[in-house]
Amino acid sequence: MNTLFQLVMANFKEMVRDRMALFWFLAFPVLFILLFGTIFSENNDTASFSIGLVQEEPGLLGDGLAQALGSIPSLKIERGTSRQQELRALERGDRSLVIVLPAGLSRLLEEGSSAEIPIYYDETRQSSHVLLPVIGRVLDEVERRMTNSPRLLDPRPEPVHAVRLRQIDYLLPGVLAMAIMQLGLFGSLRLAYLREQKILKRLGATPLPRGMLLGGEVIVRLLMALIQTTTIVVIGALVFRVTVLGSWFIVVGLVLMGAATFVSLGYMLVSFARSEESGHGIIQLVQFPMMFISGIFFPVNMMPGFLRPVMKAMPLTYLADALRQVMTGTPPQYSLATDVTVLGAWLIVTFALGIRFFQWE
Amino acid sequence: MSLNNSIVNVQDLRKYYGKVRAVDGLSFTVEKGEIFGMLGPNGAGKTTTVEVLVGIRKRDSGTVFVLGMDPERQPMAVKDRIGVQLQTASMYPRLTVSEVVRLFCSFYSRHLEPAEIISQVGLQNKAGTQIKNLSGGQVQRLAIALAMVNDGDLVFLDEPTTGLDPQARRNLWDVVFSLKKSGKTIFLTTHYMDEAERLCDRVAVIDHGKIIALGSPHDLIRDHFLERALEFIQPALAGDERLSGLSGVTRVRGNGERVTLYTTDVPRTIASLMELGEVVGAPIKDMVIRQATLEDVFLKLTGRRIRE
Repeated sequence: MNTLFQLVMANFKEMVRDRMALFWFLAFPVLFILLFGTIFSENNDTASFSIGLVQEEPGLLGDGLAQALGSIPSLKIERGTSRQQELRALERGDRSLVIVLPAGLSRLLEEGSSAEIPIYYDETRQSSHVLLPVIGRVLDEVERRMTNSPRLLDPRPEPVHAVRLRQIDYLLPGVLAMAIMQLGLFGSLRLAYLREQKILKRLGATPLPRGMLLGGEVIVRLLMALIQTTTIVVIGALVFRVTVLGSWFIVVGLVLMGAATFVSLGYMLVSFARSEESGHGIIQLVQFPMMFISGIFFPVNMMPGFLRPVMKAMPLTYLADALRQVMTGTPPQYSLATDVTVLGAWLIVTFALGIRFFQWE
Repeated sequence: MSLNNSIVNVQDLRKYYGKVRAVDGLSFTVEKGEIFGMLGPNGAGKTTTVEVLVGIRKRDSGTVFVLGMDPERQPMAVKDRIGVQLQTASMYPRLTVSEVVRLFCSFYSRHLEPAEIISQVGLQNKAGTQIKNLSGGQVQRLAIALAMVNDGDLVFLDEPTTGLDPQARRNLWDVVFSLKKSGKTIFLTTHYMDEAERLCDRVAVIDHGKIIALGSPHDLIRDHFLERALEFIQPALAGDERLSGLSGVTRVRGNGERVTLYTTDVPRTIASLMELGEVVGAPIKDMVIRQATLEDVFLKLTGRRIRE
């Protein structure tokens, strides 16, 4: 037990003192999240809709409408001075919608006849199709109050589970999966290094069993995966308010299983390499495509069809999918059971091949 | 069990790599408390022999007993009780000297105090230094320290001074002598003649996987050379047949313009050599008289120099 503890401590010190490794395993994923998280959140998350409201004659209706619209979150009311000016703003893209209360409106209403309220919108913008019914409903409501007619169907909104899925919620678990993959794959190059420097051979001349030697290496990778997880989750919570919805217990379990799978895959790849350098080449060849084809950065349905079978074969796809659904409640591509089964299959097969083909010298 | 009280007992050991006969029928014993040397050129089979003895390589045939145990059948028991330094093996680069020594201590069923081991090889000032920042000589000292952690009775040193500068080599020899003084048996390989002569109580000269001579350095030289070696430089005389007719000369070797005469009577050989030089009109330059060395023994037995 003491031997294993000493080995783990030794490996851990080796890793922590390697600035390069620390950068790739910890700083890189964090930078990644900060960078892409910021980009995506600017495009989507802070999006609010600017509504132009032009009143061509003074009246209470304008104020009432402005108040009713302004109480809707993410609608911003701009009270324009003239129709032309607001239409130009709409054309520039500064307004999502322009509502005009035309001159003579109050007279028409007093007469009891119906009045038209023009609403200008950009047909090509998807948001218009969401906004138009909203505006319509607000106008209905205003009209109901004006005519004092009773409401028969009264909607009563009750928030239950306010999951707002944002880009960052999709991205963050994926980046965690990517970090675990890189840790497992590149971390296993250390075995090739130890072999090349004859450190493995030297250890072989001591009574240290090989199983314990490998165990010490793997345990340090798993510890590092947990440190990665903590770092990424804390950054996500502090900077982007990403909260882990699912059970921590399951998250940790998935992280450990994912790390073990990629360590095992890494050892298998290294076992086909003669030197550390060629091992590096082989691992690059595997990890680079996997990083992009596994749906970490964008959902599968954006992937060209011919790549989908490849994606379906990659273990990273399943780790990312599992982490996404457990951590942020992203609608899963596969059931959690499927994710875990495929990962487990990869773990067992690569472990067996690694044991079969790894050369200690 | 071992047939006698030898610390190491090897009979007809063979190890082939494909067609290459790395070790081709070695038999020898190592006795308690001696420094046993294996001397030979690179590729002679020294490292393979060490690897078989310390239990990290399987032999093809032959019997091997180390501390009375077969390292193939009881590898863990053997490894627990021997110390090993392997040729060109390095260590975890980012651990400090004392961290590595402590780590190795945890591998064995019993071990010495880490601080004590470190000061024994003279690295106490480097205890907190990471391995990657050590000099070549310091790395070798650490390697020997790691061979001492379990206070084993038998220590294997595979080419411990290869690649070191002369000063570092001499310092390392002192460490080896202090190991011997503390009662350990040492099995050492080298391709340095002077190292074998200075350090070893007995030397097995090995070439192409076979022992071609075995004995104390002194005995080996005496058995093969009653004579002394007389070396000089004179291109005009290189290859001259008259050299072998000079008084006292038993054998002549030429190596480029350097000529070596082996003689039983140094003064008379010098006198007649001077005479011959005058006859040819070529003065003898840079003459050196020396005792024959293991290098001469190797040369005589194989016809090659050991470093060629």
